[in-house]
Amino acid sequence: MTTTIRRAAGTLGLVGVLVLLGAVPAGAAGETIGTCVFEEILYAEEEFGSLHVLEEAEHKKDLVKFEEDLEKCVEAPSPIFPEWDEVIWGGAAFLILFGFMWWKGFPAVQRAMQARSDKIAADLDAAEQAKTEATTVLADHEAQLAGAKAEAAQIVEDARAQADLVAAEIQARANEEVAQMRARAAADIESARSQAVSDLRGVVADIAVGAAERVIKSNLDVDTQRALVDAYIDEVAGGNG
Amino acid sequence: MADERLDGYAEALLAVAAAEGQSTVIEDELFRVGEALRQNDELLTALSDSRLPIERRQGVVEDLLGEKASAVTTALVSMVVGTGHGGRLPEIVDAMVARGAANRDRVLAKVRSAIELTEDQKTRLAQAIKSSTGADVEIRVIIDESVLGGLVTEIGDDVIDGSVRRRQSQLRENFG
Repeated sequence: MTTTIRRAAGTLGLVGVLVLLGAVPAGAAGETIGTCVFEEILYAEEEFGSLHVLEEAEHKKDLVKFEEDLEKCVEAPSPIFPEWDEVIWGGAAFLILFGFMWWKGFPAVQRAMQARSDKIAADLDAAEQAKTEATTVLADHEAQLAGAKAEAAQIVEDARAQADLVAAEIQARANEEVAQMRARAAADIESARSQAVSDLRGVVADIAVGAAERVIKSNLDVDTQRALVDAYIDEVAGGNG
Repeated sequence: MADERLDGYAEALLAVAAAEGQSTVIEDELFRVGEALRQNDELLTALSDSRLPIERRQGVVEDLLGEKASAVTTALVSMVVGTGHGGRLPEIVDAMVARGAANRDRVLAKVRSAIELTEDQKTRLAQAIKSSTGADVEIRVIIDESVLGGLVTEIGDDVIDGSVRRRQSQLRENFG
């Protein structure tokens, strides 16, 4: 593609150069002013023998005509229509260049433009395809995103429900443990109270019995001992032992 | 020690006491020795400790009894210790006393008291027990200060507890 464009550009450049060469001023391609003046002077000298003749009165009209002819030499060429030789050479060059362009340049340019057009069309198709694919991907992503959002919402909802369930279980377990702890504490308190009462009774009993023992020992002399033995014997004899 | 061997030793002790003509005294001394050993675990363990030479254990018996018991009683205890059955001497003595009482058609009655009983008290107690149970008993008194006062009589498996200690226990239970 690059080569084709380069060839087309080269062809266009050559055509431009040729066009410039063929576009020289019309005057430069025909006779010059000097030649024209020289030819008018020769013509006048051939006709009148000398130019001084024209200064005579009887040739006043000839002088006027001579002057008009000279002025025509300095008149500019037609701004519209060039000289015929220029037209011929220019037309020939144009035809040659046109043929060359038709033969080489135009196909190359056409191919380049076709290639460019094909490339642009391909790019457009690719862009369209990419757009379609992007749209599809976007739709897929949006669908996936929507699914993910729904799934996330479901997960959050499930987690919340699970958390509520766990919290309820923990609360129930805590309540149960609190109830058990209270029951154990109440039992412990009752046990401690009973133990304290029992201990207190034991202490009171020890004190009372200890006091009684001290009183008894202090009073258990031999006579008392013998009296106790006699009383025991009497009880056994009476069948009360 | 098998029961047959225990009975054999008890029978032997009775036979020796009878042969010496001092059955009552010897039985009474042996009974007191048996109760003393029963109330003194360290002494009972020492007399049955096989790590001590028999002569040493017999020396302990002679040192303890010495003049406190008759020579026959000391010799009998030393004999039992010398045969290696010192640890079961209380049981042997119990069997001997029970067998002696049975030989006299009586039942052994162990009486625990904080003081020594007079003969009159022993006689009246035996009569009281007979009137209560219908059995002739032979009184063996054990001095036990833990009784505090009154008496505790054991006849076989029956116990008649009229001690101050029991009344204190009842008082303690009532407080509890």
